[in-house]
Amino acid sequence: MKIILKRLKKRNKLSYISFWIIIFLYLSALLADLISPYPYNKQFRDYPLCPPTRIHFFDYNRKFHLRPFVYEIRLVNPALNKYEIVKEKKCPIYFLVKGERRKILGLFYSDRYLFGTKEGKVFLFGTDIHGRDIFTRILYGARISLSIGIIGVSISFFLGFLIGGISGYFGGKIDNFLMRLVEIFMMFPSFYLMLSLRAVFPLNLSSFQIYLLIVIILSLIGWAGLARIIRGMVLSIKEEEYILAARALGLSTFRIIFKHIIPNTFSYTITAITLSIPGYILGESALSLLGLGIQEPYPSWGNMLSVCVGNLRVLSNAPWMLTPGFFIFLTIICFNFLGDGLRDVLDPKNW
Amino acid sequence: MKKILELKNIYVGNEEIKILKNINFEVKKGEVLSIVGESGCGKSMTLRTIIKLLPKNIKILKGKILFNELDITEIQDMERIRGKEIGIIFQEPSSYLNPLFTIGNQIEEAIKNEKSKKLCKEKVFKILQEVGLPENVYYLYPHQLSGGMQQRAMIAMAIVNNPFLLLADEPTTALDVTTALGIINLLKNLVATHNLSVIFVTHDISLARFISDTIIVMYAGFIIEKGTSEEIYNQPLHPYTKKLINCLPEKYRKRERILTIEGEVPSLKNLPSGCPFSNRCDFKIDICEKYLPGEIKFENRIVRCFKYGNIVES
Repeated sequence: MKIILKRLKKRNKLSYISFWIIIFLYLSALLADLISPYPYNKQFRDYPLCPPTRIHFFDYNRKFHLRPFVYEIRLVNPALNKYEIVKEKKCPIYFLVKGERRKILGLFYSDRYLFGTKEGKVFLFGTDIHGRDIFTRILYGARISLSIGIIGVSISFFLGFLIGGISGYFGGKIDNFLMRLVEIFMMFPSFYLMLSLRAVFPLNLSSFQIYLLIVIILSLIGWAGLARIIRGMVLSIKEEEYILAARALGLSTFRIIFKHIIPNTFSYTITAITLSIPGYILGESALSLLGLGIQEPYPSWGNMLSVCVGNLRVLSNAPWMLTPGFFIFLTIICFNFLGDGLRDVLDPKNW
Repeated sequence: MKKILELKNIYVGNEEIKILKNINFEVKKGEVLSIVGESGCGKSMTLRTIIKLLPKNIKILKGKILFNELDITEIQDMERIRGKEIGIIFQEPSSYLNPLFTIGNQIEEAIKNEKSKKLCKEKVFKILQEVGLPENVYYLYPHQLSGGMQQRAMIAMAIVNNPFLLLADEPTTALDVTTALGIINLLKNLVATHNLSVIFVTHDISLARFISDTIIVMYAGFIIEKGTSEEIYNQPLHPYTKKLINCLPEKYRKRERILTIEGEVPSLKNLPSGCPFSNRCDFKIDICEKYLPGEIKFENRIVRCFKYGNIVES
């Protein structure tokens, strides 16, 4: 692992940086309870569609303050959501501020927040229509949006490797049967398959059940095409001479498939894995967008964006509502760069 | 000496073509046997028959392969014999080593009956030393080695379990002459130290003479001559063997034109009805085109030619 990182740093700076951005994103998703300044479902009714708060070191008299502060803001026009800065009122930012009690990492309760103000509000990325802090919701939403990719990819790649590997190696009737099965899955337009699969299950599920359901639906859609590609690669790799040599060494079929053939598909599959993680994030967004995914008040990047769709007023007046979109974009592009770099680095011929 | 391997009346092929026909030979313990012949004579197929790694559509049709008094043709789980009791090395080491794993990793994988990882690793270092590779090769990938080193690594993989029999499928063809000599000497040493039996397939009859005790000459899927290496080299009986030896460059003086054998090995799909060599043979008589010559035995030599007696293959 260390060696791979070292090589990544040396050979492909961009993917090295992407790697750390991804780590950073995942860590902040994991530690959302600790970092976020508010609970994710806390609504500030007086601050709907509030723009991002600026954090100041200098006040309006050009005086420097060591402790950063924010100015208090006030809703002046509720119809147009116009805000005004109250220049007289400085609210310094403190660490470990007291707030509402909530559970941290599902382990213990605390009423302290990492940062915040005693009066006034800090909305780093602004608020949504209901006055909920977007920064907080992005942190919590990342838990769903980022993990859905990893879990979904692991399920569908497990299925893809298993079915593609067996089908390609044994060929004949097994191959024929499995590939027809794959074709059945591929035949459905994936989006409608997704919708119909979702429709089979009841609507009133707990958010965790919905989460599991989405992961399973997305990976059930994803594995078929993958199995097909892996089968093709296995078909060509099994004719390679080193596979004959492995058979001549008396290795078992299972070992040959999973130790010798599958690793040789990695140059393709690693890129495919990192490229398909964004697919899951987007798939979840698409389901949430249609109201079939994660339900409010639970945030996911997808359902946060869904508010903006078809609402031009929000888009033009409150562009900060699109921040989850930026994070989706960031994650996807980082995964793509990382995949690219990993493919180069993991191929021993490139060392 | 004890027989390690005995092929009895082996026929290999499918409905359309017969690749090997009536193959009979035996290998004793510590014996090196060479199989020589042109391309497409069935030399490599003989080896692949012995470890049952034949292409999909080709099967052993008839006959018995006795390996330590065990009939290989009837065994279902060849995995317990391959690698452990019969090792094999191939022609082009670079394509027979998995490019994704280090040499050490691959040799370790070949080791059977050894659970402890530490002992495994020690064993690998020992075998690397034995085949004349430096220790750091353990951590290298196949593409980082030269052809000769790759071949040594292949040999290490093949002999790491102390097999009874080593099959070598033209192990030196892809190497240059000096490297090849190193490999040949290594094989000779291993034969002496491990009391290994080797079946050595090659194009090069003088190399075969150098390394082996017995030589088998194959042509179009038949064994056409068999004898000790000196006998074959010095007094070839079959016209084909004679011609093969006449083609050796060392038999010629400078600037002399080297002879070749006119014509080609007949395609297995339409073999002549008689002796398969009849269309290229200088001593052809009428019977050659009509009947297939049977095996004629002189003491411990075998030859398949009507010149030495009228025995017809049934």
